Formats: sequence, C-alpha cells, structure tokens
Amino acid sequence: MKNKILILLCCILLSNCDKWLDIKPYDQISEEELLKTEEGFQKLLNGIYIELNREELYGQSLSVEMVEIMGGVYEIGDDSNVWGNYSDLKRYDFGTEYWRNRFTATWNKAYALILNCNKILENIEGKEDMFTQGGYDIIRGEALALRAMLHFDILRLFGPVYSKTPEAKSIPYYTHRTNTPEPQLPASEVLNLIVTDLKEALIALKDDPIITEGTMMSSLDNGQSNFYRYRALRLNYYAVEGLLARVELYAGNRAEAYKHAFDVIAAADRGIFPFVDSRLVIGSVTDPDRIFSSEVIFALTNTQRVKIFNNFFDPKRTTFTFKMESNLLNDKIFGGGSVTGGYQDDFRNRAIWNASGSNRFFFKYADMAEPGRIENTMIPMLRLGEMYLIAAECKGDNLNAGLSLINLLRSKRGIKADYNHFDETLLKYEYIRELYGEGQLFFLYKRLYSDIIRSASDKDNPKASQNIFVVPLPEGEIEVEK
Amino acid sequence: MLCGKLMQMAAFLCLAFSVESVRAQQKNKFVILHGKIVDATTKDAMPGVTVVIEGSTVGTTSDADGNYTLKVPSGIYNLLFSFLGYEPVVKKFNGQNRKEFETIKLVQSAMELEDVVVTGVYQRKKESFTGSTTTFKNSDLKSVGTQSVLQSLRTLDPSFKIADNALAGSNPNRLPDFEIRGKNSVIGLKEEYGTDPNQPLFILDGFETTLETIMNLNLNRIASVTLLKDAASTAIYGSKASNGVVVVETKVPERGRLQLSYKGDFGVDIADLSDYNLMNAAEKLEFETRAGVYTDRNDINNQMRLDALRNERLKQIARGVDTYWLSEPLRTGFTHKHNIYAEGGEEKIRYGLGLSYGQVEGVMKNSGRETVEGNIDLIYRTGKLQFSNKFMLNYQKTQDPTVSFAEYANANPYYQKYNANGKIDKYLYYYHNDPTGETDMVSNPLWNAHLNNYDKGESTGFTNNFILEWFVMKDFRLRAKFGITHSNTTNDARISPLHTDFDDMKETEKGLYSHSLNKRNNYEGDFTATYGRVFGEKHTVNAVAGFNFNSMKSVTNGYKANGFTEDQFDAPSFANGYPEGGKSKYFETQTRAVSFFINGGYAYDNRYLLDFNYRADGASMFGTNNRFRNTWSVGLGWNIHNEKFMKNQKTFQMLKLRASAGNPGNQNFSAYQAFSTYIFNGWMTNIFGTGLILNQLGNEDLAWQETINYNVGTDVSMWGNRINLTFDYYWKITDPLLAVITTPGSMGTPSLAMNAGQQKTKGLEFTLRISPIYRPHDRINWTLSFNGTHSKAKYAKIGDAFSSLNDAGKLSLSGTTRYYDGGSPTAIWGVRSAGIDPATGRELFIKKNGTYSFDYDLNDEVVLGDTNPKLEGVFGTTFYYKRFSLGAYFRYSLGAQIFNDALFQKVENISTGDIFNNQDKRALYDRWSPDNREAYFKGISLVQKTDKSSRFVMDENYISGESFSVGYEFTQPFIKKLGLSALTLQATINEAFRVSSVKNERGIEYPFARTVSVSILATF
Repeated sequence: MKNKILILLCCILLSNCDKWLDIKPYDQISEEELLKTEEGFQKLLNGIYIELNREELYGQSLSVEMVEIMGGVYEIGDDSNVWGNYSDLKRYDFGTEYWRNRFTATWNKAYALILNCNKILENIEGKEDMFTQGGYDIIRGEALALRAMLHFDILRLFGPVYSKTPEAKSIPYYTHRTNTPEPQLPASEVLNLIVTDLKEALIALKDDPIITEGTMMSSLDNGQSNFYRYRALRLNYYAVEGLLARVELYAGNRAEAYKHAFDVIAAADRGIFPFVDSRLVIGSVTDPDRIFSSEVIFALTNTQRVKIFNNFFDPKRTTFTFKMESNLLNDKIFGGGSVTGGYQDDFRNRAIWNASGSNRFFFKYADMAEPGRIENTMIPMLRLGEMYLIAAECKGDNLNAGLSLINLLRSKRGIKADYNHFDETLLKYEYIRELYGEGQLFFLYKRLYSDIIRSASDKDNPKASQNIFVVPLPEGEIEVEK
Repeated sequence: MLCGKLMQMAAFLCLAFSVESVRAQQKNKFVILHGKIVDATTKDAMPGVTVVIEGSTVGTTSDADGNYTLKVPSGIYNLLFSFLGYEPVVKKFNGQNRKEFETIKLVQSAMELEDVVVTGVYQRKKESFTGSTTTFKNSDLKSVGTQSVLQSLRTLDPSFKIADNALAGSNPNRLPDFEIRGKNSVIGLKEEYGTDPNQPLFILDGFETTLETIMNLNLNRIASVTLLKDAASTAIYGSKASNGVVVVETKVPERGRLQLSYKGDFGVDIADLSDYNLMNAAEKLEFETRAGVYTDRNDINNQMRLDALRNERLKQIARGVDTYWLSEPLRTGFTHKHNIYAEGGEEKIRYGLGLSYGQVEGVMKNSGRETVEGNIDLIYRTGKLQFSNKFMLNYQKTQDPTVSFAEYANANPYYQKYNANGKIDKYLYYYHNDPTGETDMVSNPLWNAHLNNYDKGESTGFTNNFILEWFVMKDFRLRAKFGITHSNTTNDARISPLHTDFDDMKETEKGLYSHSLNKRNNYEGDFTATYGRVFGEKHTVNAVAGFNFNSMKSVTNGYKANGFTEDQFDAPSFANGYPEGGKSKYFETQTRAVSFFINGGYAYDNRYLLDFNYRADGASMFGTNNRFRNTWSVGLGWNIHNEKFMKNQKTFQMLKLRASAGNPGNQNFSAYQAFSTYIFNGWMTNIFGTGLILNQLGNEDLAWQETINYNVGTDVSMWGNRINLTFDYYWKITDPLLAVITTPGSMGTPSLAMNAGQQKTKGLEFTLRISPIYRPHDRINWTLSFNGTHSKAKYAKIGDAFSSLNDAGKLSLSGTTRYYDGGSPTAIWGVRSAGIDPATGRELFIKKNGTYSFDYDLNDEVVLGDTNPKLEGVFGTTFYYKRFSLGAYFRYSLGAQIFNDALFQKVENISTGDIFNNQDKRALYDRWSPDNREAYFKGISLVQKTDKSSRFVMDENYISGESFSVGYEFTQPFIKKLGLSALTLQATINEAFRVSSVKNERGIEYPFARTVSVSILATF
C-alpha cells in the first residue's frame, strides 16, 4: 500500500515538475506576465515615453542643457563657483570625468530605452489578435519610431560630421535584443537603418487617428483611456514624417527631406497643426502660450517640467541663469532689422523673452498661470517651424528657392518685412529664433560644419572643427567585427 | 528574550528527567548478577565496560579483571553491555537465566566511523568506495580547536581552504569564504548577488543547509564530518555538487541508561596587531614636513599659521605625546560555550535532549555573538519501521562595532585622545579660514565610537527533520525524509545625529536608523530506496534510487528613517522622516529544484570496485530553454591489498588505487537571472497613466555551469598503520563558465548573466601520517602528519567576453585581476618595473618588448605573480601517552605572490587627502631623494600617482602556528569521586603566531585574533 502511495506521489510530482519549477518573481513583474495583455504593451510603451523625460535624455541633457551649451546657446562664465562644470563644456572639454560620465549616462539611457523598444517589437510579433482598435499597429509603429529617434540623436551626438566623413565608424544599431554587442557601423549605414525603421513606422501608422481626428489634445469626459488621444504627445504619423525630414536632411537627401517636410506642412494646412493664434502670444496677454503648443508635432509630456525653468532659466536664481548673450539677442536675433532678419516685434521675442532689470530672460519653459494645463508639461521635440525651415532649405539647389516658405513662416511670427534673399547665416538665425532651447542648434552647426553662433562678435564664436563636433564614445564600448 | 528561551528549554529538560526517575523507583526486590566480560576474539578480560538496565540509571562498570557485579531489582528487562569500539550486547533477563550472564563476549565493531563514508544519501564502506573523501570524528575536530567546525576542517584537510579576509580579520559575525579544491566560478558574482558561487554544498543530517547554520552549530553536537571531493562521491548531489560537499552528522542518542554529558569551551581572544607598522608621532610629523604639509609658498599668512601649527605639534611631541590609537577599540574577548546533552532509551524508543549556549566576544568592543540552541532527537522503532525526528530551535544575537578599525589606524599619533578636561573632542584638528571658506578637519574616532550608535542583529529559527525508514527486507530499505527550516532575522543599525558623517546635513536630516527583516522558509523532501546484498560471497551490490525536491524562499523587507535630534533617544519613533527619495525596500527570491537519482556500487571480491551515479536535476533559476540537466559519474577502484599475491605480506594493510570522472554542476546563482523583469517607473505618471520599463534583462539561453571532474588517487597504509598516505591528483574543466559580465552600455543593460569560456584546474593533494611510536593497546602513540595541496587554474576560450572587466581593472587604483585566455584566475597583472631611476627619482618601467621607459603604458601589462601558493598545507604532530595528549599544527604556504596594498597605498600614493591619516613607517624611510638615490620607493610627494607595477608584488611565504593543544583524560577513581563517568580537559591555542616574508597590513576593518581556549568534557 505504502509503495503504491509513494509511486502515485512520484507520478503526480513528476507531471507537475515543470510547473512547480516555473517561479514568477513577486517583487518584480515578469515579461510573460506583463506582455500577455494589450494593456501591458501600452504600459511598456508609455514607460518608454516617460523615461525619455529623464535628465540624461530630453528632460535636460538633450533638450535645454548639455547639448544646448555645446550649441553655444547660452552665455557661460568661467567662474567655477557659479558655473560648475559648464565652463569645461563651453570649451568642449569632453574628457573631464564629470562630462565623460554625463555623456556615458546619456548614451546608456538611450540604449536602455532602445532595448525596451526592441522588447516591445519582439514580443508583439504574431500577437495581432490580442489588440483592439488598431492598437497593434500604433504600438508597433511608435516603438519603431522611438528606436529610430533615439539612435538618430545618439548618432548626431557621438557620430562623425556626416558631410565630411559619412563612412566613418559611428555607433552600433540595435534592431533586436541580443546577448552580444553589435558592431559600430559607418554613419551612412546607421542613417539607412534609421530611415528604414521610420518608413516601416510610417506604414504601421497609416491609420493613425491623428490623420482624421487631429491631435485630440483633451481628455474625454467619460474617463476612458487616453491611449489613442493626445497624439501630439506621442510619435504620431506626422511626427514620424517630420523625423524622416530631419533625418533625410542630415543624410543630405534634400529632395526626400523636402517631400516629408512638405507632407507635414500640408497636414498642418489642413488644420491639424495650426499656427499659433496671435491672440495667445502677443498684445496685453499676461499668460502666453510660449511653446506655441498648437504647432508642436511631437512633444514629451513631463509633469515635472517646472524644474527646467527653476533650475536653469528663472531670473530669481542665485547662481547662474541660462540666457542668450545680450548683444546677440539685441543686435542679431531680435534686432538688426533687415540685415539679420531680427525684429523686436517677433512673436517669439515678445512671448518668450521677458525683461527683468537690464537683462532679458528666456521664459519658454515658464508655466502658464492656470495649473494642470497640458501645455505646462510639454517639452517640444518637433515643431512645424522646423518643417518650414527644412522645406525652405531643401526646396531648390539655392537657398533663395525657399524664400516664399521662409517669408510665410516669418509672417506667421508677426514680421511684416519679407526677406528678399535667403542665405545660410539667415537660416541659422531663423533656427535660433524658432528652436532656441530645444536641443537642435548644435546639430544644425554640426550638419553644416559651421562655426557655432554664441556671440554677436564673430571672434568669440567657436570655430567648426572635429574636436568640438564629435563626442568620444563612452569607455567600455568595444569594437566588434561584423 | 534570551532568558525566557533558556528557561523554556531548561523546563523541558527537567520534565524529561523526572519521568525517567519515576520509572526507576517502581521495583523493590533485588537479584545480584555477576560475571566476566571478555573480548570475543582475543578472550582478554575487558575492564571499564558499562553495564546497565536498558532505559534506567541502574548500572555499573567492570573492574580491572573484567568482572562485574550488579544488584538489580527482580523483573524482566534488558541488560546492556557497551564499550567504545565494540558492538553493544543486549541480553534479556527474565529472572531465571542468571547463568547466561556469567560470561559476556563483546565483538569489536566491524565498522568504525572512519571506515564508513557518509554521503548524506547513502553510506558505504570506505574500503569498497571509489570516491575521494575524508571523514573526521568529533574528537579529531576538537583536537585542533574549538572555534567552529570549519576552522577545524581547515587544519585537518588540505583541500578545504578558508580565504584569509584581510579586511574583516577575525570578525566573529563575518561568514568566511571558503572552497574545496579551488574556485570553479568567476569571481565577482558574490558582489553582485551575495551568494558565493564557489561555496560547497552543506548537508546536515541528510538535509541541505546553509553555511550560517554550520557556523552556528555547537561543535560538541557534531558526530562526524565528511568531505566529498571528487565526482564519484559528489555526483549524487548532481547539479549542486561541483564545489564539493560537506556532510555533517550530529550525534544520535545512544541506547542505554540515561546519560547526561556536559561539554564546555572557554576561550580568550587577543588581537594580533603584529602586521601593523605605523609611524610614531615624531616620524609622522617628519613625514608631513617632508611632504610639504607645512609649506605654503603663495600665502605668507598661511605659512605663518602652518609654522605655528608645526611648532605646536613639535612641542606636544617633545612633551611625550605619542598616542597609540590601535589599542583604543580593542579588548580581550572572552568566549564561553556550553552544551548539555541527555540521552538514553531502550529497544523501541531512544531520545536525546540538548541545550547549547555560546557567547563569543570579539576583540573589538561592541562586537560579539550569542547563540542558544535547543534540540530534541527522537528515534522510535517498531517492527520494520523506524521513525526519527530531529528538532532544533535556535536563537542568535549579533553585535558589530560601528566605527571601523581602519579609522583608529588612520588617526595621527601626535593627536591626543582627550582634551585638557578629559573629555572627547569631536575633532582632533579643526581649521576654518573665514575669508576663503576653506575648512579642514580630522574627526576623532573616539567621538563617533562614544555615541549611541549600534549595529545589531537577532535571529530565531527552527529546523525539523523527519525520517521514516521501512526495512522491507534484510537488504532492501525504503526511506522518506521531510525537512523544514524557518528563520526570522532582524537587523537594526543606528547612527547618532552627532556623528561626524552628518556634519554637512540639515538638522532635520541628521542621524540614521535602518531596519530590515529577513524571513526564510525552506523545505525539502526526499524518497529513496536502498538495496545492498552480497551474492555468492564475492559479488557485493549496492543500489540507491530516489527523488528529491526542495524549495527555498527568502523575503527581505526594510526601511530607513532619519532626522533624530538627540544622541540619547534612539527609538525610530523619534525620527523626523525618511531620507529623501527613500522608500521601503523589499526583495523576494524563491528557488525550487527537483531531482531524480540513481547510485550503484559493485565490488568483486572486495578487489575490483565500481561506482556509478546518474542524476537529473531541474531548477527554477535556469532558463526555460535549459531547465533540466543530467549529471553522471563513474568511479573505479582496485584494492591491491586484497589480491592473493598480497596475502602473505605484512607491509601493506591497505593499498588501493581509485579513479573517477563525472560532471557535477553548480546552482549557487541568483534566482531570477534567466528572466527579464519589469518595474514601474514610479517617478512620473502622465496623461496616459503609469508606465513600466525593463528592470533586468534575462538570458533565457543561460546554460548550467558544469565541471567535468577527473580524479585519480591512492590510499596506502603500511607497517601496521604506522604509515598512512592518501594522495589525489585531479583535473577539472568548468565549461561553460557563468558570469555576470559588464556589458557595453549600448547593449541597453549594464550587466548580463552569460555563459563564457572555460576554466581548467589541475591540482594534487596529499596527507601523510607517520607514527614512529604506535602502541594503541598501551595508548601510547606519536604521529607526525604532513598535508599539502598544489593547484593551478587557467581560463580558456573566453576571448573578449570579459574585456570590459579587464578595462575596468586596468583603470582602477589597485585592481590586478584580468581575464585572458591562458591566464590564471589568481594571477596578478601589472607592468614590470625596473625600480626607481637613481638620477631622476622616477619609476622606470619595462615595456613588453623589454625596453625601458618612464611612461606607464597599460598595454605593457604582464603576469607579475600569482596569489595561489605553489604549495600550502599543514604539518603537525600529535603525541598520546596514556591519558595525556599533545598536539601542534603549523600552516605553511610557499611560492605565492601578493600585491602589497600597504606599500601601494600607505607608502606611495598618499594623496593630499590621505596625509591626515597615519601611514606605514616605510613611507618615511627608503624614499628617494638626492641624498638617497638608491631608494626602493619614490620621493615623498603628495601629487605623484604611483601605478600598479611589479615593485609592489612580493613573494609571500609564511608559516603560522595554527593550533597547539594539550589534553588530559582523568582516570576512573578520581572522576568517580566527582560523580562522573568520564572527564576530559583540553587547552588549545589557535593562531599563536604568523611569520611571513612580507609585511602587509591584515585585518584592516577588524583585526585578526589569537585564541586560547580550554574545553571540558564531562559525562555523568
């Protein structure tokens, strides 16, 4: 009898062994558990968007701080008691321990999120049936676009000056989760992969509700999920097109860049991204929409955005405050008239630059008065103005071919005097006016291999060189043969 | 708390005794039995044999002629005759058969403990077993020391190594790192997960247990320890066995009258500071002066201040100030351990009740360990069934010092401990320059030590192991085992708000209290069938088959609180809040494993031996793609001494050759490293709700680490056991290695558990015992023993897998471990140095191609030495004369190299920050200067960085007095007067001295200790 019980026991145990050995962690969430529902994928995707707001990425380093200092955007002093490590970065001294760590942190965080994208893409494969309302395509498309966008910004920061050495070894491109490092590819190959990913994303997002419904920047009253709303806070169809325009221009494919930029402009014209209403930004407006939120094609939503203003731009700060050199501001950017295209009446001047004492301060990231507004959380990543700038630059062989586009943009900024010619200097000034404090200017100078505009006097402007444009790869990145 | 537990256990014991005495008093008529007890083979009279009525306290012992007389109450009962080394005889007295008691013959035990191999799953006769094992009895273990079973094993077996911990010294609460036959896994994993992948498996009474349990176990409770080393002996534990197995058996209650024994150990620990070589006050000031501490060429005011400061210090030194800080945190530690065991029983039921108490005082103040252990052993046998149950209840209390020993070693000797008022100042030196805001300060270690800080732990737990055996037939047996262990450990640490660590913090954030609670629940079950039979007198067959499952779960939960206002009030309720961003911590790990195993042994005529094992293991921590794995082993043996042609010789009593091969594996890895896991990014939510991101990237393809293990060995015993030799040669290949590898950031994860490459180890070990005087019958015996081990390991096929670890090692201040194909895991890597250039005082390096250069180039790194000694072991002697015994054991280590950290960090590489700490004397002498051009060390400088070069790699040979003991066993008439049946006293000195060819600081955070102890063994 006992024998039989024993044998029976053994049998039960045997058949249940595998199940018994399958332990799911309790204090963490296992992949299997998370990715067995649509909500799990949604949460993982949202997790990536949230994480983009980290200081290492667009919460600071790649938006208002590190990369902008490299772009000569702010006037930085030399007193280390006030400016800390910023003086080193101003001199493009990337090798100090502090900045080496900062660049490494940005690199690591970007690739960590790329791995998260790859986790989504790998796990979503073949699970179409689990999703409703086209969620499969939206999540897959956005994950592809996020992967491309992160690689692109890492390439722009650590890669070569593309116009000079497009075949130079740059960064690895991860299209799947692996246990072994991927090789560092030539920049041209990385750009090809970025374009491939973005084009695939574009196909996946062809039914994005933004195309028919617009950005839907409000919540429904019935408390339903916002997952398919607030499209401008996610990498929507047009954001992917906008990214493609930006990438193709960086790669020197001007015709492609023009095509994609123009697609976005056309959508904007259909009312999806209307130009900012002048009543919201000028006149006796005390509470302007400083980020021109209706024009934003893609922004991050960061509930702690106020820290950006408090930590860097607030005139009340006791140590440093980030702002433009006043001569540059007054004589070139929002002054200088027809020579520089700078006018005080420019909406971007009146809405964003506030005087305090004898200085003028940058208020783009200051909150609007009404608390809880979605605008107060937005960190712009891609805006309509840049599409106009790209289209203008790429319309013809000569910059003058884009004159009408640039004048249209300027008229929407309240500038009555049209340009009668357009050149690279004016283009750079337009970029400064439009994208100041948004992390794009360093990449502009690197693309054009142009001196960095930091000051009104040319002698104070850093000269274009490999040393200032190329950030060394983090330690620990190893050469792997293909 | 502690008292309550002691009381409970004592009450339990009393109750058990009173039941016994009531039984014994029931009868009142008496019969007198007498007779003679003789050895069954020699027919010699046997004195000192115990004769008792089973299950009672009525008994006697035989006299010098082997005669006994016992007055017994009339009735029917069993009489038990027992003597050490003989099979006990039980005879039934029915009131009529007095004749049968006139001559009692005792037969020598066929199997002495050392003749049996106990694997925890099955037992085999050592002579017919092919594995490489060693067994030690309690008396062997106790003869070399009383600290812990592990310390004793280290002295007795060369393959059992405990790594000297240069940081933690002799901290009684620090669990040692140790290994059997070297490391098979990549170092660095322990730091990552807290589990040591090189730790052997521990089996206590047939159940898997933890290192901590073995450490806490009162040595007096242990009956025997068996080390299983090669594949043939360990493979029964399959994928857990590649690091070797330590099988510990506790005592089983003896049948017979109720017997009470007391064992006590009393010890004294004294710190061993002989490795410290610190400057005195005058030397330190001279050193600082030469280093330019008192010179400021840019600021005349500051120069004046510095002059005044130096003069003040000079004056103090002249006055005789030369503070010896090292003695301050130290004390003489007293250790006492007690064990009471009551045992007895009759044919059907046997019982044992034990109570142990131990208190260990560390050599640092506020450092100690207290353990209480109660155990109940019950064995009940009825017909063919036997039930045994071992229950153990334990309690530990630990306390650690809150100020590291290093802080005392750092304090300058020209400072005084107390100020003029005899009070302790917070700072030994404090300077604040108002205009510049520059502040320099040196905090007083006594200040932090005198505050109301603590770091204590408390743990309670129980283990219950139940075994049911069914003796189906004479040679077939079934066994079911089930064991359960539970423990709760709490740790509380508190740092007073007045601690100098909090100087820069806001008032509301000072002080820190941390609390953590760990709960462990393990259970294990096992079914085995055992068969053993001799066919046709020549074919011996043994077979064991079984199934085993176990589960371990550990949950840790804790929090920190800060913002205490007062030193005195330390309850967490006085906290102001939690550290910024602090949240409660919670970790849970659970692992499960199942296995099926078969073991078989066949011996032909006890000459040709064969053993084999097969085991299939499944474990939850391995990737779903690699969940089960098979382990096998085969062992062969040849007992040459049993061959016909050896029958007529007297030289060899034993001559055995054995060989084995197998592939045991390793499960000492983190529970979830094969799984990808996600966590909420709780720092922000948005309009879309919450989000999750990847927390850990798992590796589903992770393969089990396994070690192919080959062993050949011989056991020789010659000239009537006067010469004993055991020799083993082994080679092992661990393939694949499993390691947590630092990955390039672009892989999206900082590290990943991976399989990479192999490690190959070759080694030999031997134990030789020679007895010039060997007269066991007279109890006169002089033995010399010598054991040693040599091993060599190297990596293969690892390629670039560890390049990030190599790069990190190159850039670190003193990391000398590298991972290259062909390199040894214990090699010291660095750049060769040609010494200090007499002309310039700069270090001259030797490049890879042999040319000289002043430039330090990391690409010139070569192997400079190996920390693994060429030969190490223990030699010693024991001498028994009648009841008197002497023992001395010396540890030796030859041919190792070490990287001398004291020279590297306390002689050179003294930075502007370190100058305020006391330094090694050598920092002052033998330094290069224009007057001393042939110096070994660079000139004194605060800014010069010294790189890792061969100048700091030194040959280390040492000898240490590991154990000296003297013992005496008291004679019968004397102890009878004391009411005892046996009494033994022994005194031991451990770690009496250490002579080394290298002077290097050891015991940085906690000093090493020398131990003197006395132990008493009394049986009532």
